Amino acid sequence: MIISSIGYVLSESFKGLFRNRLMCITSTGVVAVTLLMLGIFMLLSLNVAHITDQVKEQVEIVAYIDDQASSNTVAALRQKLESNPGVLEASYVSSEEHMERLRRQLGSVLEGYDTELDNPLLASFEVRAMVPENVAVLAAEIESYPGVSEVFYGQDYVESLFSVTRVLQLLGLTLMVGLAITAVFLISHTIGLTVMMRKKEIAIMKYVGATNWFIRWPFILEGLLMGLVGAIIPLVALYYLYQYALDWVAVNNLAFISMLPLQEVILEVGRYLLPLGVGLGILGSGFSIGRFLKV
Amino acid sequence: MIEAKNVSMKYGKNGQYALSDISFFIDRGEFAFFVGSSGAGKSTLLKLIIRELTPSTGCLKVFNRDVGRLPRQKLPYLRRNIGMVFQDFRLIESRTVYDNVAFAMMVIGSPQREIHKRVPQVLTLVGLEDKTKAKVCDLSGGEQQRVGLARALANRPALIVADEPTGNLDPGTTLDIMNLLRSINQRGTTVLVATHNREIVNLFKKRVIYLDGGRMVGDEQEGFYTHDH
Repeated sequence: MIISSIGYVLSESFKGLFRNRLMCITSTGVVAVTLLMLGIFMLLSLNVAHITDQVKEQVEIVAYIDDQASSNTVAALRQKLESNPGVLEASYVSSEEHMERLRRQLGSVLEGYDTELDNPLLASFEVRAMVPENVAVLAAEIESYPGVSEVFYGQDYVESLFSVTRVLQLLGLTLMVGLAITAVFLISHTIGLTVMMRKKEIAIMKYVGATNWFIRWPFILEGLLMGLVGAIIPLVALYYLYQYALDWVAVNNLAFISMLPLQEVILEVGRYLLPLGVGLGILGSGFSIGRFLKV
Repeated sequence: MIEAKNVSMKYGKNGQYALSDISFFIDRGEFAFFVGSSGAGKSTLLKLIIRELTPSTGCLKVFNRDVGRLPRQKLPYLRRNIGMVFQDFRLIESRTVYDNVAFAMMVIGSPQREIHKRVPQVLTLVGLEDKTKAKVCDLSGGEQQRVGLARALANRPALIVADEPTGNLDPGTTLDIMNLLRSINQRGTTVLVATHNREIVNLFKKRVIYLDGGRMVGDEQEGFYTHDH
């Protein structure tokens, strides 16, 4: 009985898809278009996040050491920085090294100036924060350490970067939730029409004593298949679109826009779109059929 | 088999009574007509028996079970013992005669072997053995109702409930269908027919339960349906 039921459910699902092919193509199309929009947005926000991460990694705190500080104080300061859990890495830059960097940057301007005798530059620690967003708090803490004369971390730049990232993330989330809700609505509506066209069949099934689950299964399987196909189509489209975008960036010498690699990004988007498509398909048919089961 | 005790049925909260205070008992193997004009409550009564509706008050037992209190998940198993025949046939027009009958067996999970055996049997019983591959939409009204009857019989129900089964048919075809119902009854199946066709009721001389304005106004063995009712 179970085997014949499974056979029935499978064959009915495929027959159903074929008999109502126009409606099925419409439903699948709705899923595909919605997921395509969602996918494009995901690609954008993944890349924005990627670029922001890279910029964040470059954020560092420079803690200048008091020129009166003894070597013991400097050693204690290094110890303190390295044991701070908020610090990812701290490296010592001597005043000579600072001068060297300056010489490299300015070149001929410093010619004839005896930098060995008269070096006004302070030695420093360059500190990278474990969590770049916490850089302000960490900088304030480091400033209070003995032997530190001044702390610098490009306050304005860092703070505006983080607020832009926050706005982008919030906007992305809102858009994605909005699109997902629209998708559920559209899909359940379209699948609802498919179910409506077959309400007579459903009523007959109820009259001859089919259980609700027996009636539901073929519809749910149909929804699942439509959702799956509706997710695969935009994934393939996104693959080619993204490849095109990568080529475009390369051809136009926009190498400073660092984009995620193709395979990685499509796999990441697919990890969300496939279950989302399948879930939407199942939910859409499940919701729509519920109304017709009360005979 | 079917026992109604003071059954009343009201549509909506402040609606009118479609049935009030109906009581009767129908035994296994009986053939009974529910008669009355349109709006008398015949269809409502049949809908209560198949539990498409539940009584507002009173107790209605089908196969010794109070259908008003039957849990939803048990409903399919009640329906498997009842074959239903409708005035508008309710067939899937785009499919063949065979498929329509097989469908009723498939959706309750009958094995293919059983379906292959049973469908030709019931189609022979209703005289459609030559039309198994015909599409329902190509059949005449009488033939479509035979398919409806074959479908109702497919799962070997103990009870056949027919709501105006000949309402859409001409007199000759009507008699054919009614004779089929009678022969099904003679094989031991209980048959209930709601109708307002006086000729048929008077010809068959079976039990007649009279309804008028939702009330039961008579119940006679070998009854007649005259203008007095």
